[in-house]
Amino acid sequence: MPAINLSAQSFRDSVELEPVVVTASHSPKALKDAPVVTRLITLHDIKITDATNIQDMLTQEIPGLEFGFAMSQETSLNMGGFGGNAVLFLVDGERMAGETMDNVDYNRLNLDNVGRIEIVKGASSALYGSNAVGGVVNIISRENLEPWTANINSRYNSFGHEWRNGANFSFNTKKWNSQTSFQHTKIDPVDLPKPYSSEEIAIELLKKAQGLPYDASVLDDDSNLSRLYGQKTYNVKERLTWRATDKLTLIGRGGYFFRTSERDTYDYHFNGYSAGLKGRYAWDYARHLELSYAYDQYDKANFLPDGTRTHDHDYSNRQHVAHALYHHSFGKNSLILGADYMHDYLSTYQFVDNASHAQNNIDGYAQFDWNITERLNVVGSVRYDYFSASAQKAFTERLAVVYKFPWITFRANYASGFRAPTLKEMYMHFDMGNMGYLLRGNPDLKPEKSHNFNIAVERTNRIRNSGFLDGRYNFTLMGYCNIFDKRITTIDGGTYEGMESALYWNEDGITVWGVDVSLGHIWDCGVSLRLNYSWMHETGNVYYSDFYQPRSHSMTWRIGYNHRFSRHYALDAALSGRSQGKPQSGRTDVDQGYTICKLMLQHHIWRGIHLNTAIDNLFNYKPKSYYYSSPLTTGTSFSIGLSVDLDMI
Amino acid sequence: MKIKSLMTMTLAAVAFVFSMSSCSSNDDEPEVALATQVEGSYTGNEIFVVDNEESSNETKAYVFSKVSDTSIDMNIPEVGMGMMTIPSFSVKGITLSKDGNTIKGKVASYEGTVTGSDGTEKAYTVTDLTALFSDKTVVVTYTLKYGKMPFPFTGSFTGTKK
Repeated sequence: MPAINLSAQSFRDSVELEPVVVTASHSPKALKDAPVVTRLITLHDIKITDATNIQDMLTQEIPGLEFGFAMSQETSLNMGGFGGNAVLFLVDGERMAGETMDNVDYNRLNLDNVGRIEIVKGASSALYGSNAVGGVVNIISRENLEPWTANINSRYNSFGHEWRNGANFSFNTKKWNSQTSFQHTKIDPVDLPKPYSSEEIAIELLKKAQGLPYDASVLDDDSNLSRLYGQKTYNVKERLTWRATDKLTLIGRGGYFFRTSERDTYDYHFNGYSAGLKGRYAWDYARHLELSYAYDQYDKANFLPDGTRTHDHDYSNRQHVAHALYHHSFGKNSLILGADYMHDYLSTYQFVDNASHAQNNIDGYAQFDWNITERLNVVGSVRYDYFSASAQKAFTERLAVVYKFPWITFRANYASGFRAPTLKEMYMHFDMGNMGYLLRGNPDLKPEKSHNFNIAVERTNRIRNSGFLDGRYNFTLMGYCNIFDKRITTIDGGTYEGMESALYWNEDGITVWGVDVSLGHIWDCGVSLRLNYSWMHETGNVYYSDFYQPRSHSMTWRIGYNHRFSRHYALDAALSGRSQGKPQSGRTDVDQGYTICKLMLQHHIWRGIHLNTAIDNLFNYKPKSYYYSSPLTTGTSFSIGLSVDLDMI
Repeated sequence: MKIKSLMTMTLAAVAFVFSMSSCSSNDDEPEVALATQVEGSYTGNEIFVVDNEESSNETKAYVFSKVSDTSIDMNIPEVGMGMMTIPSFSVKGITLSKDGNTIKGKVASYEGTVTGSDGTEKAYTVTDLTALFSDKTVVVTYTLKYGKMPFPFTGSFTGTKK
């Protein structure tokens, strides 16, 4: 029954603050000692939500975050008032190339081989450079320690008749560790229901034309979307670790991703290629050096239904990244010195004559982790970045203080962030849809800047001899202020080359105030509760995009229960929900607040057989119209999945 | 008595004549074909909704031409200006049926091509089309996907026959 035990242990980890995290300090630290509040999504969270990719996962777990659609049903993101391009997504600390709308293709970030996800809200550019303006999401791969594991899994979801099939294999010896994963997904197009048919609308229009009484509400449809496109994905990943000596470890990785999106006129094809090699040499416990090289490529192209490539929508983004990081401990204190080089190449139909542009980014950074007393910890970081294409420089810094009172842990943090203008924002020259509306890049753009201040208190304790409350709990309260300036957006560019145009420009920014509350309690009887609430408010030059609707109040919650009923059967049950308040924009043509609930039952049967059943949108919520950030539901749906650990049988 | 009898006979004769003329009308004069009743040019107001943004185009003429007794083609005039122009396009094979005093035309999906303002061939798809004719008035609702435009247009037209 190890699979059941692993699940239960991961579940407890999420409450008891035992796990180790790396994102907040660029080095392993216990979650309770992390210098900045880190939201951890554990392996158990990933399994119990049954999420397919990072978008699915974050939607269910993180309040104050909203994915939506943009043009061509590309995905947009807003997290705590920041757009998607202000949130840095990393895989094992590495960046990814390519974009769909304002960030990477989230379909690449499937969760088949993921061990945990760490989320740090607020700026982190002093450690991670450009794009870490509003937050960092770091997806950490799983590393199985059993001699070998093999898993096959399949899931059907009634929404879009979606199929997800996967296989994973790993082996572990004294010298070698290998993790291989494959996943395929397929979802059919989904026609979104309209409140009224074209005939019903025509009837009311006819009454109106004839001067008869008519129902005006039938003529008032605010939907932006009528159909969700179907798509297929294939995702293969390999990660191979060689412990060459006690001091030297080499990690190689590679991956291939393919997605096809079936559109009305064309099929969109997306290809992702990744490869990397990392070496870690540890002289002793106190000193180690990491050197790594990473390559990532993301391509897009259009194909006609007969399979002919049109070549009029070709896109290729290629990134070469070299890292060096030296870590030195001085007793309880430690120093990190790092430097990176990145070559970023972009060729796209959105440049004049499908031209290409490239730029180099070099940076250096240092962090000192100073444990002044048993209770007081101060972490300071500084970083310098240079971008060749825009000749822009950026200095960023962070100062984090942790003080452990007997009853609570107190954290205070200041961090600065920046986002360098992308090649697309600098050089775009794109006639949108060939309709005579030009999007123009601006080579004179300045980097976006942010300043993040936050304070947090955290308490973790066990309750004993109090009857039904007996168990462990943790509570985190964080208040923050993000000052975001020189935001890159588009303004009216006037008439250019005979066309109306929009021009990329640095606008005045916004200030985001917010409070995050997280509460977890696990009762000794196996029942658990996790609740995450987020409040935020934007002031300043607030711009409300059609593609997302930031909401002041949002919440996610989950009530869980796990119990082994017999030697051959255990149950992991979760009732979860996601509640969104009214949009801050005051728009009334979008959902004015809604809650979507999900019931998940995971049956662990015999040895290594897991049957997952879920009912999503339990109370059959349906948006009154489908706008870009509507919840993607047409009502209650169900899923059923089977996962078999072959090594357990 | 004679007068009463005469009046009764006269009324009976009038009733007979009217009833016969009614029968004669039904039996001898065939109803005009639905397509013939609705064909022609209708002038009125066209509304396009793209990405929840509405634009209104007045004094447009939608032309319906008869193909068979129960089938018509529809021609929609050019809309937009300069490079942002959708050229005139057609929807063929709209099937007609009678619904009370209204004649209804329906097309689930129609695909065609036109030459765009930049000289290249553009594909378009019209879906979920409804046309309602009553007296001299027509209302048309439909969804249009044009070229590589990422957004579909929702079109509606209200017009009267010249």
